[in-house]
Amino acid sequence: MSQRDKAPEGEQQAMNGTEDPTNDEMLVETDVSDGLSASGNSVGREAETVISSENINVWYGDDHALTDISMDIPENSVTAMIGPSGCGKSTFLRCINRMNDLIDVARVEGGLTLRGKNVYDDDVDPVALRRRVGMVFQKPNPFPKSIYENVVYGLKIQGIDADYDEVVEESLKRAALWDEVKDRLHESGLDLSGGQQQRLCIARAIATDPEVLLMDEPASALDPVATSQIEDLVEELAEDYTVVIVTHNMQQAARISDKTAVFLTGGELVEFDDTQKIFENPESQRVEDYITGKFG
Amino acid sequence: MARNTYQSRLNQLEEDVLYLSELTAERVRFALDALEDKDERKAQEVIEGDREINRIYLDLEQDCIDLLALQQPVAGDLRFIAASFKIITDLERIGDLATNLAQYAIDAENDVYAEVDIRRIGDAALDMVDQAMDAYETEDTDLCHSVAERDDNLDTMCDNASQSIVRDLMNGDDFEGDGDLEPETALVDVRRLLLTVRDLERIGDHAVNVAARTLYMIDNDDSLLF
Repeated sequence: MSQRDKAPEGEQQAMNGTEDPTNDEMLVETDVSDGLSASGNSVGREAETVISSENINVWYGDDHALTDISMDIPENSVTAMIGPSGCGKSTFLRCINRMNDLIDVARVEGGLTLRGKNVYDDDVDPVALRRRVGMVFQKPNPFPKSIYENVVYGLKIQGIDADYDEVVEESLKRAALWDEVKDRLHESGLDLSGGQQQRLCIARAIATDPEVLLMDEPASALDPVATSQIEDLVEELAEDYTVVIVTHNMQQAARISDKTAVFLTGGELVEFDDTQKIFENPESQRVEDYITGKFG
Repeated sequence: MARNTYQSRLNQLEEDVLYLSELTAERVRFALDALEDKDERKAQEVIEGDREINRIYLDLEQDCIDLLALQQPVAGDLRFIAASFKIITDLERIGDLATNLAQYAIDAENDVYAEVDIRRIGDAALDMVDQAMDAYETEDTDLCHSVAERDDNLDTMCDNASQSIVRDLMNGDDFEGDGDLEPETALVDVRRLLLTVRDLERIGDHAVNVAARTLYMIDNDDSLLF
């Protein structure tokens, strides 16, 4: 039964920072004011930059998947990545929490900072990084455990002592799932509906209290009602987290994001601006052709 | 409720459209006061306040464009936004007509044809605007039809007033009277009075437009649009 398929190993690691709990060197904390400023694309408000990429290039073997990607992602906002299949948007997402490290042939060049610290520096532990940068995937992938155990899995595996009951309640509430599951916390997470499973995965991702939530097509496997619930949730989560979401559904990007990055074929970031600007008056004719369906 | 942010933006749009309607109706009321009392200061307030109305109108237009571009509204939501988009134009024009009335109040030096009851015509037009906006707020189709029916009465009042003015003018009634008025001055005043009546009649027409768009919004019924 597909629901019971185990998540790929890399995905589990990314969600829980569990690659090697004993090697638990924290990501080096840095002064957030060291040379970073709010995004130049920011219109109408000044938000602090959380993630900043500068000329990021990614190769999969000889395939140049991303070319010179530079962008600043502001705090407590939803940033959407849109573009046709193979344009590199998921690849960029995976640069942020170094998921590409798990792919042997992948090579990343350029700078990508999380609050001013380059995540590719030698002293950065990818496991600790992934604790600060949670991830939710396209297909809901709860572990074959109880709802309760799913939520606290990341904390337990990292040996983090906490009031687990409180973490479970708080995380499930933030994921807008508490009211639906509070009376059956010890039933299997796999018995939930697809939309509930995805919210459980979101609860699991936020249980370790990350700063950033990466979402790779989080609603594309869900029906319209569950999709709408996830979209509402994403907007709410942006009050506490910096959310970066990859979506094939550009209308979804329009509905829920503050900023939109448009990637086009060839791994090129063609335009990055306020979502309103992108969908009402993009600078690039190629972006206009893409979002109006004339190309792509 | 699903799509919480979207729903709250729709609610906000409705509130803002109602606010714009209250503001424009107030400006018409002030302009009528200014005409009645020859109150230049009040008239000036109305004229200067038009910038505020224009600004709100443009903000709401942008809100509608944002909702259309970013939220993909369909069915009743789409009709609500499309209707609101049109209604704000009518409200903004009512605001313009209020400034016309205020300007007439400033320009008028003589009270010609005092028997033409501008206040009564103005109140009738304003009642239609209020009723049309009630229909929009409460989604009441009966009120929409009622506004359209009342327009005939307003048109009749305006026609009668204009005919009376023109008839008296042709009869030369007020050119003699107390002998204070020069014919040329009287002509300017008469022209202004005719324009006042015409502008009030137009306020009624805009109220009917609001009612027609509201009926379309509620029931997808375009019968009042023709």
